Amino acid sequence: MELPLDLFGSLFLHTLSFWWVIIPTIFLGLLVGAIPGFSAANTIIILLPLTLAMEIETGLIFMVTLYCASRMGAGIPAILVNIPGTAGAAATPLDGYPMTKAGRGQEALAMSFVASALGGLLTTVIALAAMPLLAEVSYYMHSVEMIIIMLFGISLIASIAARDTLKGLIAGFLGLMIGAIGTDVVYATPRGTMGFLELYDGVPLIPALVGLFAVSEAFLVVDQKLILTDEGVAVSHSSGWGPTIEGTKIALKRWWHITWNSIIGLIIGIIPGAGASIASFVAYQQSRTYSKTPELYGTGHPEGLIAPESANNGVTAGTLIPLLILGIPGGATAAVMLVVMQYQGVTLGPSLFDLRPELGYGVFMAMAVTYFLMIFTILPLSRYMSRVTLIRTTYLSPMIIAFTLVGSFVPREYMFDMALGLVFGVIGYIARKTGYHVAAILIGIILGPLLETFFLRALKMSDGDIMVLFSSNLGNILWVALFVTFIAPMVLDRFFNRDKKTP
Amino acid sequence: MTEKTISGTPRKKPLGGELVIPVCSLAFTLYYFSTIIDSPWTAQVSAFFVGAILIALSLTFVVKTLYLVKTDRANFGLNDLIGRTDITSGRIWVFLLTLGYVVLVDLGGFTLTTFVFLFSSMLILNKGRRPGFIALMAAGFALGGYGLFIVALETRFPSGPFEKLMQSVM
Repeated sequence: MELPLDLFGSLFLHTLSFWWVIIPTIFLGLLVGAIPGFSAANTIIILLPLTLAMEIETGLIFMVTLYCASRMGAGIPAILVNIPGTAGAAATPLDGYPMTKAGRGQEALAMSFVASALGGLLTTVIALAAMPLLAEVSYYMHSVEMIIIMLFGISLIASIAARDTLKGLIAGFLGLMIGAIGTDVVYATPRGTMGFLELYDGVPLIPALVGLFAVSEAFLVVDQKLILTDEGVAVSHSSGWGPTIEGTKIALKRWWHITWNSIIGLIIGIIPGAGASIASFVAYQQSRTYSKTPELYGTGHPEGLIAPESANNGVTAGTLIPLLILGIPGGATAAVMLVVMQYQGVTLGPSLFDLRPELGYGVFMAMAVTYFLMIFTILPLSRYMSRVTLIRTTYLSPMIIAFTLVGSFVPREYMFDMALGLVFGVIGYIARKTGYHVAAILIGIILGPLLETFFLRALKMSDGDIMVLFSSNLGNILWVALFVTFIAPMVLDRFFNRDKKTP
Repeated sequence: MTEKTISGTPRKKPLGGELVIPVCSLAFTLYYFSTIIDSPWTAQVSAFFVGAILIALSLTFVVKTLYLVKTDRANFGLNDLIGRTDITSGRIWVFLLTLGYVVLVDLGGFTLTTFVFLFSSMLILNKGRRPGFIALMAAGFALGGYGLFIVALETRFPSGPFEKLMQSVM
């Protein structure tokens, strides 16, 4: 598959002529991404009659734009009000929200937008250039390799636990235990479901996300006037365009950080079954491990915000590679796109790029144009979006509770999920009030079931031989990388002679 | 661990609240084990591994707390979790209203129940001030939610008298 470079220029300009589809869809995507429960996949399904009625090219541009914009939109409430719009943005508030509380919400939004757009743009270009090579990544990623990738994400619990080891580990393992609720993947034996049929498929992510982050936060802040600190209010009131420019500069200065983490996102996105949540946790953990200032992570450190945002936007290009080349969707949104493309009579596979290059390459070009336009359309809005933090909590809290709980109903349309959101809200509230980290609980809930699935699959294939975990070359390389991740902080600490005091 | 009070006597740290998560973790893990005791090994292996570690960690925390209480450096007070501010700020009432919202939204429908929840909780948190403004705001957001989620995005939110009325009108 040779790259038709001459085609790319004309395709870029041609895609740009669809600005009338792209710009309104960017705003729709930001909206659905920002509301927990309304993912891009759900929205494409809801708007399926409209998408199917469109010309194939317009429909594809619409879906791709919605996908990219919703990914970026999920970070906005995560930064401003500590509510990740999707599980892929669950690592964003770790440093984004402390920045907002300190009155740096506008700066954090600008940073997030630049990191997301550049990360997305860069990985799209890499995907275009190295598509056949990247498509093979999914062939080499089996259960063993996936287990190690999950462990990279789960090791973030240990980092969180660094501040209070015992509490951090209790929170993380409680999350893993909650994540183990549901039927086992081999014999479908119900486990820990308390008799609720709604839990047989496991604990749904959106109610957990909504409860642990949004509902608990809303209950927590009702006795404050604003979610900002006193210094934060002063900073917020005196800000003009300065913080947007400053945030942009900070992000651009960390171009290497954006590159590195968006590539992590791209590679994880290619693997079917993995996704933005894994990518953002792995990126955050890697960023912290190799940072000269790991003690600043969790306190509003720019790199702690840039890492997950560039990674989860890198995932978008990654999920489309196996879809277009192998016909295997890398995620839920890609699966819905597969349905639409098949309905329109598009045959997926390497031949797509020879027979209909305007569609094959056009998907990635639509992604590139979307990220390009998003920088100019969204960045100026950071100044106005950050004003949300100046709404009094007496109005903001009830709105957060009502709309996020209703959002937890959307994915499965079970009333049970709203009640579950409230239960997680209570767990999150108790955890926050007593010094347990809700992010550690959530990491366990998200990654625990995936880890168990891949672990059991590996054991089943090897007839219960645990040595299967060390049976592949790539797996062994990843084990070494994981080991290095654990010892690197100690080595780097000695090298830089850092002050180990945590804030 | 112990801070000083104004009179100079050491103040014991209330650790009752911090015990809630480990104790609940212990109880849940034991319940979980009871559901897999007769299951095939595939259902047990990772749960026993994770659960055993969680039990060990939780017990360590409980023992550590008991030791602090025994040595007079902490007590089982719940001040870090529940206090007077939960009543004065209206937090407890908002929680009860949220509980009511979750129970009644299926019956009253999205729009009406959301309006009642927003109006009553905002009124409580604002200590009864500006009821007219709050009513307008609650109505605006409930109707906005109806327009966006039910009409525009055709989400199957719980339907009640308002949604049925609007459906018959439209």
